[in-house]
Amino acid sequence: MSGLIVLFERELKKWFGRRPVLFMSLVTPLIWIALFGKSFNLNALVNISAQSLIPPQLQGFIDPKVIEGMVKKALNKQLKSMFGTTDYFTFFASGMLVAFCIFQGAFGGVGVVFDKRLGYMRRILVTPVRRSYIFLAKLFGTLARISILSLLLLGTSIPLGFKFKPNLSIGDIIMPWVAVMLLSVFILSIYMVMAFYTDNQEVLFAASNLINLPLMFASNAIFPLKQMPGWLQTIAEYNPVTHAAYIVRYHLIGSPIPNYWESIIYLAASSTVLLAFSMYYSVRKMDMGV
Amino acid sequence: MPDNCAVEVMGLTKRFGDLVAVDKVSFCIPKGIVFSLLGPNGAGKTTTINMLSTLLKPTGGDAYIHGYSIIRDRGEVRQIIGLVPQDLTADDELTGWENVYIQAKLYGLPSGKAEEKTEEALRFMELWDHRKRRVSTYSGGMRRRLEIAMSLVNEPRVMFLDEPTLGLDVHSRRHLWGLIERLKEQGTTILLTTHYMEEAEYLADRIAIIDHGKIVVEDTPDGLKARIKGDRIYLRLGEEEAVSVVKALTEKGFNASLRNSDSIIVKVERSEEILPELISILQGRKLLEIRVVKPNLEEVFIELTGRGLRGEESFDSFKYRVMRRRMR
Repeated sequence: MSGLIVLFERELKKWFGRRPVLFMSLVTPLIWIALFGKSFNLNALVNISAQSLIPPQLQGFIDPKVIEGMVKKALNKQLKSMFGTTDYFTFFASGMLVAFCIFQGAFGGVGVVFDKRLGYMRRILVTPVRRSYIFLAKLFGTLARISILSLLLLGTSIPLGFKFKPNLSIGDIIMPWVAVMLLSVFILSIYMVMAFYTDNQEVLFAASNLINLPLMFASNAIFPLKQMPGWLQTIAEYNPVTHAAYIVRYHLIGSPIPNYWESIIYLAASSTVLLAFSMYYSVRKMDMGV
Repeated sequence: MPDNCAVEVMGLTKRFGDLVAVDKVSFCIPKGIVFSLLGPNGAGKTTTINMLSTLLKPTGGDAYIHGYSIIRDRGEVRQIIGLVPQDLTADDELTGWENVYIQAKLYGLPSGKAEEKTEEALRFMELWDHRKRRVSTYSGGMRRRLEIAMSLVNEPRVMFLDEPTLGLDVHSRRHLWGLIERLKEQGTTILLTTHYMEEAEYLADRIAIIDHGKIVVEDTPDGLKARIKGDRIYLRLGEEEAVSVVKALTEKGFNASLRNSDSIIVKVERSEEILPELISILQGRKLLEIRVVKPNLEEVFIELTGRGLRGEESFDSFKYRVMRRRMR
């Protein structure tokens, strides 16, 4: 066990030691939330001048306030049915929590490639430490990093107007974290296989462009499924990112979830299967000589 | 298996597809000596070390480290060996102390013991005063010493040093040689690969010359040098002259042969006595260069393999740049 702990500590030390990287990875969620979240301000659409909506012949007969109220109500109803909240920022910020671990997960894999290329991996492999610990240390290191950054992301979004659902319980904080961790395991498992397969970090960079954005867009992370064409909806329904976002939103902002347990089980199962394969493959690779 | 072998290699083979990197290699390293694998790049030195240190599975054959098989008893082998790889593997984002301490923990040592071993290793390699510095600030010589310190924490009975002085200046290389000698005095068996013949000559008790994955010869440094009796005189002449000069020299009873189109190698017992006669024979010829070489391992190598030790380097530009950056 001490081998696992010391390798895990190394991951964190490296992260904290890289001041520019640490700074950027802390600032990134801030920027994302502040810029993206606020630029898609759909609520502004509701603030229209009701006066202009009333035909001239009816001017004076109808109170613009009533019209304004009706329009707002109609739009809010539409927004609520689309996003599960009247506040797009809250919808977006909670989706970002999920999207963020897609990108962070990719970095975990890059670390393995560099350890291989710079010979550090050989250095560890020549000791009697268990091969699975080497894999797990990278995994836990990445999960710890994502946990800290997600918390920061959420913390940042509160002063910017994130609206939690009323009566938030401890479970409503823990379960989104579990969902984010499961999704991170899913993503990282993919990248670990690639990292142990190749010695070239470029492969991972190319793959992250190929994988990350489609995973994000073919899900409800930043836009609801209802607005998607049928075929894309079908894809999104099989995307673990969608299910992680469902769970996160259900607990944090009280959005409806089609089937709570189905989402949890689907997410947990897909992460477990991928993790098992990824760990088996990585340990085998280490045994054969990286 | 002879009892005095710390490392007993038997028919070890490694194939990568069609390429036979190591071809049925066998040797025994007696306990407590420095044994050197000498050969050009690509001869199979690193592949052999990788197999012996359990990093790579052999295609055929086996080897025993203090009686433990590198195939069946990998856990036991890892406990009693230390490997100093060719690359600079220390994590340069961490301090020297952290790098060594991590190694100690990976051998399963409890914290107190790990700290003790870390201090011992750093002091032994004369890095204690620099322990708190990030490795990225270390000089090339310090980094090489740190590589060895990292391999000492488990008090290995057998150390594999793969080109331990690659890229070092003469001063740092001498310093490192002294430390390797001290390791040997402590009773550690050392397998050293190198393509610097002076390194093998200085450190090794026994040398195996390896080429194209095969051991060509194995002997003590003196024994190897004795194989090429006498000196070598290299002559470079005008292209049209070389053949006729060989003929003339052979007629006079010299052991002369054509090396390539414009150069000749003359094997003599004592060059000092022969040179005046040789020069008088060559009078009137277009002599461009004359070079006398005393017996050394490079000559042994050329004699046995027909080519020099410095072959083409296998080249990974990324690794090269990292190495350059790290060797400041």
